[in-house]
Amino acid sequence: MAAISLPALPASWNPPSDPSSSISSLNERKLIPAGRAYLHHVQRTVHDLSFDAHDAHVEEERKRHAELNGDGLNGEDDLGVGEEEEPFELLQQDPKEWKKQDHYQVLGLSHLRYKATPDQIKVAHRKKVLKHHPDKKAGQSHTTNDDGFFKCIQKAHEVLTNAERRRQFDSVDPELLAEEEDDPSSSQYQKLLKTKKDAGAEQTLFFKTFVPIFEREARFSKKQPVPMLGQYEDGKAAVEGFYNFWYDFDSWRSFEYLDKEVNEGSDSRDDKRYTEKKNKSERARRKKDDTARLRNLVDLAMNVDPRIKRIRQEEKEAREAKKKAANQKVGGPAKKTKAEEEAEKKKAEEEKKAKEEEEKAARAEAKKAKAAAANAAKKARRAQRAGEEGADAS
Amino acid sequence: MAAPNGSIPNGSAAAGDTGAPAVVGINFGNSYASIARGLAECIANEDGERQIACAVAFQGEEMYLGNQAKHQLVKNSQNTITGFRNLLGKKFSEIPQSQIALSAPVIQHPTEPDVPAYRVQVLQPAPSPLPKSAAHTPAASNVATPRSEPISAERILSVSEVTTIFLKSLLQSAEDFLGKKVSGAVISVPAWFDTPARAALSKAAEDAGITVLQLLDEAGAISVCTIARDADLEKDDAASKEDPTPADRTALIVDIGASALELALISLSSGLSTTLHTSTVSDGSVGGDALDSALIRFFAKDFTKKTKAPLSVAPSTEPQDKRAEAKLRLAVEHTKRTLSASPGAATCSVESLKDGLDYTGSINRMRFDMEARAVYTAIGRSISKLLEEAGVDGYAVDEVVYVGGSACLPGVDESIADVFREDVRTPFKAGTVVGGGSGDPTTVLARGCALQAELLTNIASAGGEKVDEITGSFASGSEHTQVKTTSRTIGLLVPVAAESAEGSIAELGGVFVPLVRKETPLPARRRNVFAFAISPDNARVGFELWEVAEGIKIDRIKLPAPEPEEGEEPEEEEDEYEEVKSVTLAKEKYLGSVVLEDVKGSKEAKVEVTVSVSQEGKVEVKAREVAEGGKETSLSVGA
Repeated sequence: MAAISLPALPASWNPPSDPSSSISSLNERKLIPAGRAYLHHVQRTVHDLSFDAHDAHVEEERKRHAELNGDGLNGEDDLGVGEEEEPFELLQQDPKEWKKQDHYQVLGLSHLRYKATPDQIKVAHRKKVLKHHPDKKAGQSHTTNDDGFFKCIQKAHEVLTNAERRRQFDSVDPELLAEEEDDPSSSQYQKLLKTKKDAGAEQTLFFKTFVPIFEREARFSKKQPVPMLGQYEDGKAAVEGFYNFWYDFDSWRSFEYLDKEVNEGSDSRDDKRYTEKKNKSERARRKKDDTARLRNLVDLAMNVDPRIKRIRQEEKEAREAKKKAANQKVGGPAKKTKAEEEAEKKKAEEEKKAKEEEEKAARAEAKKAKAAAANAAKKARRAQRAGEEGADAS
Repeated sequence: MAAPNGSIPNGSAAAGDTGAPAVVGINFGNSYASIARGLAECIANEDGERQIACAVAFQGEEMYLGNQAKHQLVKNSQNTITGFRNLLGKKFSEIPQSQIALSAPVIQHPTEPDVPAYRVQVLQPAPSPLPKSAAHTPAASNVATPRSEPISAERILSVSEVTTIFLKSLLQSAEDFLGKKVSGAVISVPAWFDTPARAALSKAAEDAGITVLQLLDEAGAISVCTIARDADLEKDDAASKEDPTPADRTALIVDIGASALELALISLSSGLSTTLHTSTVSDGSVGGDALDSALIRFFAKDFTKKTKAPLSVAPSTEPQDKRAEAKLRLAVEHTKRTLSASPGAATCSVESLKDGLDYTGSINRMRFDMEARAVYTAIGRSISKLLEEAGVDGYAVDEVVYVGGSACLPGVDESIADVFREDVRTPFKAGTVVGGGSGDPTTVLARGCALQAELLTNIASAGGEKVDEITGSFASGSEHTQVKTTSRTIGLLVPVAAESAEGSIAELGGVFVPLVRKETPLPARRRNVFAFAISPDNARVGFELWEVAEGIKIDRIKLPAPEPEEGEEPEEEEDEYEEVKSVTLAKEKYLGSVVLEDVKGSKEAKVEVTVSVSQEGKVEVKAREVAEGGKETSLSVGA
């Protein structure tokens, strides 16, 4: 608001005396119930607010509204895409090296990544194009690489709007790979575990380590929803369900994105086939590695899961408690019975043993008898034959 | 509409139900209607018309709506219904029967007592023949059974049924255009619409499937649109605009409809609008139809001159002349639009106007203005009468807002410019008439309604405490619309030494700046920043608070006199005198003084002055030095 200039007050001026105590009588009018100003007027009346209090209220509303609607796009809803910083290196990327670029970062979607919806990608792309279109930069700088970043944007959009290609990129998302690097191996975890003294710290360490890992890996499951690690208090069924699921994990992750480019220039069919074959085997190898990696993670988690320890402990305790309860119920005789039982058992065993031995003996006997009978028969036959031979000869 | 197999075609209402609900504003006039959404869009119907004629016609089995129906007036006028809005909520006995009917006559409803209705001839599809019994089936024939002829039938439509049919088509157009369901609408109504008329319109709209958010007075719609436009302009080029629109002003709304002239004098005060005075002239002497008649008479005369075929129109008596008049009336629509767009020649062509003779003629704007002089004078007279009745001088009007297609004619503006100040704001000066800006007279009402609709939905969706009461306050006759306004302008006066003063400064003894204008609704608050000149030896800042009475002084100055500095009103007279109007101020009541001693700064000190006037008329003045750590003082004048 421009200030209105006013002359200086004469030095000799003194306020006139005898001011009037009120202004002239007021008129009665009818407002037209229309417009924002009327709304504010009514709000002030209804809520009994002063002008200043109402100003604060309006300002608050405005802020809330701005937050809800995001910014940019002329006040249209940007679906939470928001604004992201563009570091210098990002802007200087070579569009030819598009395979190495982080498409989400290029579109300013680093905070959403694989969670970004197609609508959000569309909005983000539009925002970036508005900002980086070569037409907007005409005359700003004289380097030839002016539309380099624009090409990166277009490439990123191309990849992310094609479901198949986006899936491939998501499989080898650079941020994801970086996170995977940080996953603890078994020995690392054990080392960490040793530094923890009490059970509470152990639990915290377990959940702090594995909750993000499983949340991260869940995206690759063909089956959704994926059971998550849960809490320490989870029951046996939940924990078992969790590990069962993760041991049967069906992943859509694939590694086509890392394929070596087939040399298009070469006419040699063999050359192409060779590359393709190599790519294929490489993909299979990577997939195998990935499956093994995940399995190792699940193994590790299961080995160190404080819940499994707890559940085992609980089961053992329950068993013992049951026994104890049974003992206490019967009291002294119970002990006797136990001894008796043992004795009986022993006896039964002995009996069994004896019986077995008997049988064994009987069997041996029978065998002997049988063999003897056979021998006898043999002898008899031989004798007969000899007799017959003799008779023939004579 | 969904396809029979249940698939949803693109762009249908059901397909795009995501996103914010669509609300529209509907300007439902007696002759034309328009639909808008937001400040920018005025929606075109399927025929590409943004001004949709309020007409419904029946021919055979077909029903025509909008501008297509208007064409039926030539041959099928008995089955074409126009001008039905003004009959809403009226009893049959209240409708004057004297008017010459160009369209279907209004009759008494045959079954309901005292209800106006229309009777139209329609063709109903014949009922399908009953299946014959199997026993008496004749020998099979390969010839298809001929379709039975439709039956001629009479259809009685009450005024509200016609309105429902028409509003339904508007809604359909809007939904087709927007591609989503319309969840609510604000409909404009003229100020003279009484309670039964409003109720009837609400009901007709509900029947048409429109959720009526509010029936908004036309003046309200205009004030919403004007204020939104101001905000838009300020946002656009705050820097380049050296003369921002004052937030407090008096505006005259000139609504030149097809059949009536509606005038309203409103006071806009930081967005709050109060009606000071309204008047309606609906005797047919002013308005678009009267302009049409003037144009038709001109062309008929031209036709007779060119072809020697006698043609007397407006009013016409012979059936042939009547038909020729109907044809001309449709044709001059285009001529009128061309005239308002450019000063050059505008043509009018009618095939087989009369006796099989074609007609092509042209008229330029100057000639048209001469023909339309009578209408212009009538408009000017009505405005003068309104201002006189309201007790406001034309000189005190800050803005003129034109509404309606006929108001796009620059001749209208030129002919009434005499009444106002030279620097009065009009859409012609702002250049928004031709360019289709937000001051476009043909769309201003619909846009205002659309903005109001958005506002109302936002209130409802934002929720909060007492939301019902706030929503309810937008109903007509709500207690919140009753308000007290100031009767005198309150302003500050910086006294100056008597020897250096001249002119009006001397009269008042200082420089006067109005802070709270008269007719400001209470409670009100105004905040301004003033730069007071100071010197190192006199670092005192202060002013007196006065109530003043404003008047208009008319001086007669002998020509050739140099053009006076203030806005004036040249009216050439033979004795070379001109009337010069100027605002006079007279001190009425001294309310108090505010003084800040020892302010910072060397040449000037910026002081923010906030004046609040409470509902009871209690005035509170706060003066705060803008510089950091500045002093503050306040003054309060009891009720």
